[in-house]
Amino acid sequence: MIANRVSHEAVETRVRKGTLPPWLIWGGMIGLTQIFAIATVQPLGVSTAYPQFVGWLVDKIVPGFAESQPYLQKIGTKLGWEVMLVFGMALGALLSRMLNGRSTGEGATCAVDPVPFRSAWTRGLMAFVGGFLILFGARLAGGCTSGHMLSGIAQLALSGFVFGMAAFAAGVLVAMLMLRNQSAQEG
Amino acid sequence: METKQILGLLTGVLFGFALHRAGFSRCGIVMRGLAFKDFTMLKVMLTAITVGMVGAAVLATFFPEYANLKVKPLYVWGVVLGGLIFGVGMSIAGYCPGTALVGLGGGVRDGLLTVLGGLTGALVFILVYPAIEPVLMKPMDLGKVTLHEVLGVPYLAAALVMAALFAGIIAWLNRLESRTS
Repeated sequence: MIANRVSHEAVETRVRKGTLPPWLIWGGMIGLTQIFAIATVQPLGVSTAYPQFVGWLVDKIVPGFAESQPYLQKIGTKLGWEVMLVFGMALGALLSRMLNGRSTGEGATCAVDPVPFRSAWTRGLMAFVGGFLILFGARLAGGCTSGHMLSGIAQLALSGFVFGMAAFAAGVLVAMLMLRNQSAQEG
Repeated sequence: METKQILGLLTGVLFGFALHRAGFSRCGIVMRGLAFKDFTMLKVMLTAITVGMVGAAVLATFFPEYANLKVKPLYVWGVVLGGLIFGVGMSIAGYCPGTALVGLGGGVRDGLLTVLGGLTGALVFILVYPAIEPVLMKPMDLGKVTLHEVLGVPYLAAALVMAALFAGIIAWLNRLESRTS
Protein backbone atom coordinates (compact mmCIF):
# COMPACT_ATOMS: atom_id res chain seq x y z
CA MET A 1 0.00 0.00 0.00
CA ILE A 2 2.81 2.40 0.99
CA ALA A 3 4.82 1.45 -2.09
CA ASN A 4 1.73 2.11 -4.13
CA ARG A 5 1.34 5.60 -2.70
CA VAL A 6 5.01 6.42 -3.24
CA SER A 7 4.88 5.37 -6.86
CA HIS A 8 1.67 7.35 -7.32
CA GLU A 9 3.38 10.46 -5.97
CA ALA A 10 6.35 9.80 -8.21
CA VAL A 11 4.02 9.69 -11.19
CA GLU A 12 2.37 12.94 -10.12
CA THR A 13 5.74 14.64 -9.79
CA ARG A 14 6.69 13.48 -13.27
CA VAL A 15 3.40 14.82 -14.63
CA ARG A 16 4.11 18.20 -13.00
CA LYS A 17 7.58 18.29 -14.49
CA GLY A 18 6.01 17.52 -17.83
CA THR A 19 7.93 14.32 -18.47
CA LEU A 20 4.82 12.20 -19.02
CA PRO A 21 3.44 13.10 -22.45
CA PRO A 22 -0.29 13.96 -22.78
CA TRP A 23 -1.00 11.01 -25.10
CA LEU A 24 0.22 8.62 -22.38
CA ILE A 25 -1.75 10.31 -19.58
CA TRP A 26 -5.03 10.62 -21.50
CA GLY A 27 -4.69 7.34 -23.38
CA GLY A 28 -4.13 5.70 -19.98
CA MET A 29 -7.16 7.54 -18.55
CA ILE A 30 -9.33 6.20 -21.40
CA GLY A 31 -8.03 2.71 -20.57
CA LEU A 32 -8.98 3.19 -16.89
CA THR A 33 -12.42 4.48 -17.96
CA GLN A 34 -12.78 1.28 -19.98
CA ILE A 35 -11.95 -0.84 -16.91
CA PHE A 36 -14.52 1.15 -14.89
CA ALA A 37 -17.13 0.59 -17.63
CA ILE A 38 -16.45 -3.18 -17.75
CA ALA A 39 -16.52 -3.47 -13.95
CA THR A 40 -19.85 -1.62 -13.68
CA VAL A 41 -22.01 -2.24 -16.78
CA GLN A 42 -20.37 -3.17 -20.12
CA PRO A 43 -17.40 -2.22 -22.33
CA LEU A 44 -17.35 1.23 -23.94
CA GLY A 45 -19.40 1.54 -27.12
CA VAL A 46 -20.76 4.69 -28.74
CA SER A 47 -22.44 3.95 -32.06
CA THR A 48 -25.52 2.02 -30.80
CA ALA A 49 -26.69 5.20 -29.09
CA TYR A 50 -27.17 7.02 -32.40
CA PRO A 51 -29.95 4.77 -33.82
CA GLN A 52 -31.42 4.39 -30.32
CA PHE A 53 -31.66 8.15 -29.92
CA VAL A 54 -32.86 8.87 -33.46
CA GLY A 55 -35.41 6.01 -33.14
CA TRP A 56 -36.66 7.47 -29.86
CA LEU A 57 -36.89 10.94 -31.47
CA VAL A 58 -38.72 9.81 -34.64
CA ASP A 59 -41.07 7.68 -32.54
CA LYS A 60 -42.09 10.87 -30.66
CA ILE A 61 -42.97 12.54 -33.99
CA VAL A 62 -44.35 9.48 -35.81
CA PRO A 63 -45.97 7.26 -33.15
CA GLY A 64 -45.46 3.55 -33.84
CA PHE A 65 -42.19 4.05 -35.74
CA ALA A 66 -40.09 2.12 -33.21
CA GLU A 67 -42.51 -0.82 -33.28
CA SER A 68 -42.54 -0.96 -37.07
CA GLN A 69 -38.75 -1.13 -37.48
CA PRO A 70 -37.04 -4.51 -36.93
CA TYR A 71 -33.69 -2.88 -36.11
CA LEU A 72 -35.24 -0.75 -33.36
CA GLN A 73 -36.99 -3.85 -32.03
CA LYS A 74 -33.56 -5.42 -31.75
CA ILE A 75 -31.64 -2.57 -30.06
CA GLY A 76 -34.53 -0.77 -28.32
CA THR A 77 -35.18 2.97 -28.07
CA LYS A 78 -34.68 3.30 -24.34
CA LEU A 79 -32.51 6.22 -23.26
CA GLY A 80 -30.34 3.87 -21.23
CA TRP A 81 -26.62 3.45 -20.49
CA GLU A 82 -25.51 3.88 -24.12
CA VAL A 83 -27.40 7.13 -24.78
CA MET A 84 -26.39 8.54 -21.39
CA LEU A 85 -22.75 7.68 -22.18
CA VAL A 86 -23.02 9.73 -25.36
CA PHE A 87 -24.57 12.73 -23.55
CA GLY A 88 -21.83 12.40 -20.94
CA MET A 89 -19.09 12.48 -23.59
CA ALA A 90 -20.24 15.84 -24.97
CA LEU A 91 -20.58 17.09 -21.38
CA GLY A 92 -17.08 15.85 -20.47
CA ALA A 93 -15.60 17.66 -23.46
CA LEU A 94 -17.46 20.84 -22.48
CA LEU A 95 -16.17 20.49 -18.91
CA SER A 96 -12.61 20.01 -20.10
CA ARG A 97 -12.88 23.08 -22.31
CA MET A 98 -14.28 25.21 -19.47
CA LEU A 99 -11.66 24.10 -16.96
CA ASN A 100 -8.93 24.67 -19.50
CA GLY A 101 -10.06 28.28 -19.73
CA ARG A 102 -9.41 28.54 -23.44
CA SER A 103 -11.38 27.51 -26.48
CA THR A 104 -9.90 29.87 -29.03
CA GLY A 105 -7.50 27.30 -30.42
CA GLU A 106 -10.39 25.27 -31.74
CA GLY A 107 -12.32 27.96 -33.52
CA ALA A 108 -15.66 27.46 -35.18
CA THR A 109 -14.44 25.04 -37.84
CA CYS A 110 -11.53 22.73 -38.40
CA ALA A 111 -9.76 25.41 -40.41
CA VAL A 112 -7.19 25.68 -37.62
CA ASP A 113 -5.98 22.26 -38.65
CA PRO A 114 -4.09 21.53 -41.83
CA VAL A 115 -7.07 20.10 -43.66
CA PRO A 116 -7.16 20.13 -47.45
CA PHE A 117 -10.46 21.90 -48.03
CA ARG A 118 -10.26 25.36 -46.55
CA SER A 119 -13.68 26.51 -47.70
CA ALA A 120 -16.08 26.34 -44.79
CA TRP A 121 -18.82 25.01 -47.05
CA THR A 122 -16.86 22.11 -48.52
CA ARG A 123 -15.43 21.28 -45.14
CA GLY A 124 -18.88 21.37 -43.52
CA LEU A 125 -20.30 19.09 -46.20
CA MET A 126 -17.40 16.67 -45.66
CA ALA A 127 -18.06 16.63 -41.93
CA PHE A 128 -21.74 15.80 -42.53
CA VAL A 129 -21.17 13.15 -45.22
CA GLY A 130 -18.35 11.63 -43.17
CA GLY A 131 -20.70 11.47 -40.19
CA PHE A 132 -23.30 9.69 -42.30
CA LEU A 133 -20.74 7.11 -43.46
CA ILE A 134 -19.23 6.40 -40.02
CA LEU A 135 -22.63 5.66 -38.50
CA PHE A 136 -23.87 3.61 -41.45
CA GLY A 137 -20.60 1.65 -41.54
CA ALA A 138 -20.46 1.21 -37.77
CA ARG A 139 -24.04 -0.11 -37.59
CA LEU A 140 -23.40 -2.51 -40.49
CA ALA A 141 -20.25 -3.78 -38.75
CA GLY A 142 -21.85 -3.79 -35.28
CA GLY A 143 -19.51 -1.26 -33.66
CA CYS A 144 -17.20 1.72 -34.12
CA THR A 145 -13.79 2.82 -32.90
CA SER A 146 -14.87 2.37 -29.29
CA GLY A 147 -16.99 -0.79 -29.51
CA HIS A 148 -14.88 -2.70 -32.04
CA MET A 149 -11.41 -1.30 -31.37
CA LEU A 150 -11.07 0.11 -27.83
CA SER A 151 -13.35 -2.63 -26.46
CA GLY A 152 -13.20 -5.37 -29.10
CA ILE A 153 -9.44 -5.53 -29.52
CA ALA A 154 -8.98 -5.12 -25.75
CA GLN A 155 -11.07 -8.29 -25.30
CA LEU A 156 -9.06 -10.01 -28.07
CA ALA A 157 -12.23 -10.30 -30.18
CA LEU A 158 -11.45 -11.32 -33.76
CA SER A 159 -14.28 -9.05 -35.00
CA GLY A 160 -12.40 -6.09 -33.48
CA PHE A 161 -9.14 -6.91 -35.27
CA VAL A 162 -10.95 -7.45 -38.62
CA PHE A 163 -12.94 -4.18 -38.26
CA GLY A 164 -9.80 -2.28 -37.25
CA MET A 165 -7.83 -3.52 -40.25
CA ALA A 166 -10.66 -2.75 -42.71
CA ALA A 167 -11.27 0.73 -41.25
CA PHE A 168 -7.58 1.62 -41.23
CA ALA A 169 -6.99 0.29 -44.77
CA ALA A 170 -9.77 2.48 -46.20
CA GLY A 171 -9.03 5.42 -43.89
CA VAL A 172 -5.31 5.53 -44.64
CA LEU A 173 -5.93 5.34 -48.39
CA VAL A 174 -8.39 8.26 -48.37
CA ALA A 175 -6.30 10.35 -45.95
CA MET A 176 -3.14 9.85 -48.02
CA LEU A 177 -5.03 11.01 -51.14
CA MET A 178 -6.52 14.03 -49.33
CA LEU A 179 -3.29 15.19 -47.69
CA ARG A 180 -0.87 14.29 -50.48
CA ASN A 181 -0.29 17.94 -51.42
CA GLN A 182 0.25 19.04 -47.85
CA SER A 183 3.70 20.45 -47.12
CA ALA A 184 5.65 18.76 -44.38
CA GLN A 185 5.76 21.74 -42.04
CA GLU A 186 2.01 22.16 -42.22
CA GLY A 187 1.41 18.52 -41.35
CA MET B 1 -32.58 8.32 -13.13
CA GLU B 2 -31.72 4.67 -12.76
CA THR B 3 -28.29 3.57 -11.51
CA LYS B 4 -27.34 2.34 -14.99
CA GLN B 5 -28.14 5.72 -16.54
CA ILE B 6 -26.08 7.55 -13.90
CA LEU B 7 -23.17 5.15 -14.49
CA GLY B 8 -23.47 5.74 -18.24
CA LEU B 9 -23.39 9.52 -17.77
CA LEU B 10 -20.41 9.33 -15.39
CA THR B 11 -18.46 6.99 -17.70
CA GLY B 12 -19.23 9.30 -20.63
CA VAL B 13 -17.97 12.38 -18.78
CA LEU B 14 -14.67 10.62 -17.97
CA PHE B 15 -14.34 9.32 -21.56
CA GLY B 16 -15.22 12.66 -23.19
CA PHE B 17 -12.96 14.63 -20.85
CA ALA B 18 -9.96 12.39 -21.61
CA LEU B 19 -10.62 12.45 -25.38
CA HIS B 20 -10.88 16.26 -25.31
CA ARG B 21 -7.63 16.60 -23.38
CA ALA B 22 -5.94 14.23 -25.82
CA GLY B 23 -6.93 16.63 -28.63
CA PHE B 24 -9.75 14.71 -30.35
CA SER B 25 -12.15 17.68 -30.60
CA ARG B 26 -10.01 18.72 -33.57
CA CYS B 27 -10.66 16.70 -36.70
CA GLY B 28 -7.14 17.25 -38.01
CA ILE B 29 -5.69 14.84 -35.43
CA VAL B 30 -7.50 11.92 -37.12
CA MET B 31 -6.82 13.08 -40.69
CA ARG B 32 -3.10 13.58 -40.04
CA GLY B 33 -3.02 10.35 -38.06
CA LEU B 34 -4.46 8.34 -40.93
CA ALA B 35 -1.99 9.97 -43.34
CA PHE B 36 0.86 9.02 -40.91
CA LYS B 37 1.84 12.67 -40.46
CA ASP B 38 1.18 12.58 -36.71
CA PHE B 39 1.18 9.51 -34.45
CA THR B 40 -0.82 11.06 -31.56
CA MET B 41 -4.06 9.31 -32.56
CA LEU B 42 -2.38 5.91 -32.84
CA LYS B 43 -0.49 6.35 -29.57
CA VAL B 44 -3.60 7.39 -27.59
CA MET B 45 -5.67 4.55 -29.08
CA LEU B 46 -3.02 1.88 -28.55
CA THR B 47 -2.36 3.07 -24.97
CA ALA B 48 -6.10 2.96 -24.18
CA ILE B 49 -6.45 -0.50 -25.75
CA THR B 50 -3.39 -1.85 -23.94
CA VAL B 51 -4.57 -0.67 -20.50
CA GLY B 52 -8.09 -1.97 -21.19
CA MET B 53 -6.71 -5.28 -22.44
CA VAL B 54 -4.77 -6.00 -19.25
CA GLY B 55 -7.66 -4.72 -17.11
CA ALA B 56 -10.30 -6.83 -18.85
CA ALA B 57 -8.22 -10.02 -18.61
CA VAL B 58 -7.30 -9.38 -14.95
CA LEU B 59 -10.99 -8.79 -14.09
CA ALA B 60 -12.08 -11.91 -16.00
CA THR B 61 -9.41 -14.05 -14.33
CA PHE B 62 -9.48 -12.85 -10.71
CA PHE B 63 -12.80 -10.99 -10.30
CA PRO B 64 -15.16 -12.68 -12.78
CA GLU B 65 -18.20 -11.15 -11.05
CA TYR B 66 -16.94 -7.71 -12.18
CA ALA B 67 -16.03 -8.74 -15.74
CA ASN B 68 -19.02 -7.59 -17.81
CA LEU B 69 -17.37 -8.48 -21.10
CA LYS B 70 -19.20 -8.23 -24.42
CA VAL B 71 -17.51 -9.81 -27.42
CA LYS B 72 -19.06 -8.85 -30.76
CA PRO B 73 -19.81 -11.51 -33.42
CA LEU B 74 -17.66 -11.75 -36.53
CA TYR B 75 -20.06 -11.82 -39.50
CA VAL B 76 -17.34 -11.41 -42.10
CA TRP B 77 -19.13 -9.51 -44.90
CA GLY B 78 -20.83 -6.95 -42.67
CA VAL B 79 -17.78 -6.34 -40.47
CA VAL B 80 -15.40 -5.93 -43.43
CA LEU B 81 -17.73 -3.81 -45.60
CA GLY B 82 -18.89 -1.78 -42.59
CA GLY B 83 -15.24 -1.26 -41.60
CA LEU B 84 -14.32 -0.02 -45.08
CA ILE B 85 -17.25 2.44 -45.19
CA PHE B 86 -16.37 3.54 -41.66
CA GLY B 87 -12.73 4.14 -42.62
CA VAL B 88 -13.70 6.36 -45.57
CA GLY B 89 -16.09 8.35 -43.37
CA MET B 90 -13.58 8.70 -40.53
CA SER B 91 -11.02 10.07 -42.95
CA ILE B 92 -13.21 12.68 -44.62
CA ALA B 93 -14.96 13.78 -41.40
CA GLY B 94 -11.87 13.59 -39.20
CA TYR B 95 -14.09 12.15 -36.50
CA CYS B 96 -15.44 8.84 -35.30
CA PRO B 97 -18.89 8.62 -33.61
CA GLY B 98 -17.33 9.29 -30.19
CA THR B 99 -14.89 12.08 -31.05
CA ALA B 100 -17.63 13.92 -33.02
CA LEU B 101 -19.44 14.31 -29.68
CA VAL B 102 -16.21 15.58 -28.14
CA GLY B 103 -16.00 18.11 -30.99
CA LEU B 104 -19.60 19.10 -30.31
CA GLY B 105 -18.96 19.52 -26.57
CA GLY B 106 -15.73 21.34 -27.37
CA GLY B 107 -17.63 23.89 -29.46
CA VAL B 108 -16.33 22.84 -32.87
CA ARG B 109 -18.85 23.36 -35.68
CA ASP B 110 -17.70 20.30 -37.62
CA GLY B 111 -18.29 18.10 -34.58
CA LEU B 112 -21.96 19.17 -34.61
CA LEU B 113 -22.21 18.55 -38.37
CA THR B 114 -20.68 15.08 -38.02
CA VAL B 115 -23.12 14.22 -35.21
CA LEU B 116 -26.04 15.38 -37.43
CA GLY B 117 -24.68 13.37 -40.37
CA GLY B 118 -24.32 10.42 -38.01
CA LEU B 119 -27.93 10.64 -36.82
CA THR B 120 -29.03 10.72 -40.49
CA GLY B 121 -26.84 7.72 -41.33
CA ALA B 122 -28.26 5.85 -38.31
CA LEU B 123 -31.83 6.61 -39.44
CA VAL B 124 -31.11 5.37 -42.99
CA PHE B 125 -29.54 2.22 -41.53
CA ILE B 126 -32.68 1.57 -39.46
CA LEU B 127 -34.79 1.85 -42.64
CA VAL B 128 -32.61 -0.36 -44.88
CA TYR B 129 -31.79 -2.96 -42.18
CA PRO B 130 -34.54 -5.43 -43.25
CA ALA B 131 -33.07 -5.46 -46.79
CA ILE B 132 -29.36 -5.75 -45.94
CA GLU B 133 -29.48 -7.96 -42.85
CA PRO B 134 -30.16 -11.24 -44.74
CA VAL B 135 -27.46 -10.44 -47.34
CA LEU B 136 -24.60 -8.92 -45.31
CA MET B 137 -25.15 -9.76 -41.63
CA LYS B 138 -26.68 -13.25 -41.53
CA PRO B 139 -24.27 -15.22 -43.78
CA MET B 140 -20.67 -16.05 -42.85
CA ASP B 141 -21.32 -15.40 -39.16
CA LEU B 142 -18.43 -16.97 -37.24
CA GLY B 143 -19.95 -15.95 -33.90
CA LYS B 144 -18.33 -14.31 -30.87
CA VAL B 145 -14.82 -15.65 -31.42
CA THR B 146 -11.72 -14.47 -29.57
CA LEU B 147 -8.03 -14.87 -30.32
CA HIS B 148 -7.32 -16.93 -27.20
CA GLU B 149 -10.20 -19.32 -27.93
CA VAL B 150 -8.99 -19.89 -31.49
CA LEU B 151 -5.41 -20.45 -30.32
CA GLY B 152 -6.53 -22.49 -27.31
CA VAL B 153 -4.42 -20.52 -24.82
CA PRO B 154 -5.38 -19.04 -21.41
CA TYR B 155 -7.05 -15.61 -21.67
CA LEU B 156 -4.71 -13.78 -19.26
CA ALA B 157 -1.56 -15.13 -20.95
CA ALA B 158 -2.79 -14.14 -24.42
CA ALA B 159 -3.79 -10.67 -23.17
CA LEU B 160 -0.41 -10.06 -21.49
CA VAL B 161 1.55 -11.14 -24.58
CA MET B 162 -0.63 -8.98 -26.85
CA ALA B 163 -0.37 -6.02 -24.44
CA ALA B 164 3.44 -6.35 -24.43
CA LEU B 165 3.40 -6.37 -28.24
CA PHE B 166 1.19 -3.24 -28.30
CA ALA B 167 3.47 -1.51 -25.77
CA GLY B 168 6.40 -2.28 -28.07
CA ILE B 169 4.56 -0.73 -31.03
CA ILE B 170 3.76 2.40 -28.97
CA ALA B 171 7.42 2.79 -27.94
CA TRP B 172 8.52 2.29 -31.55
CA LEU B 173 6.03 4.90 -32.86
CA ASN B 174 7.20 7.31 -30.18
CA ARG B 175 10.86 6.88 -31.11
CA LEU B 176 10.06 7.18 -34.80
CA GLU B 177 8.21 10.45 -34.19
CA SER B 178 10.87 12.03 -31.95
CA ARG B 179 13.52 11.18 -34.52
CA THR B 180 11.68 12.74 -37.47
CA SER B 181 10.54 15.91 -35.68
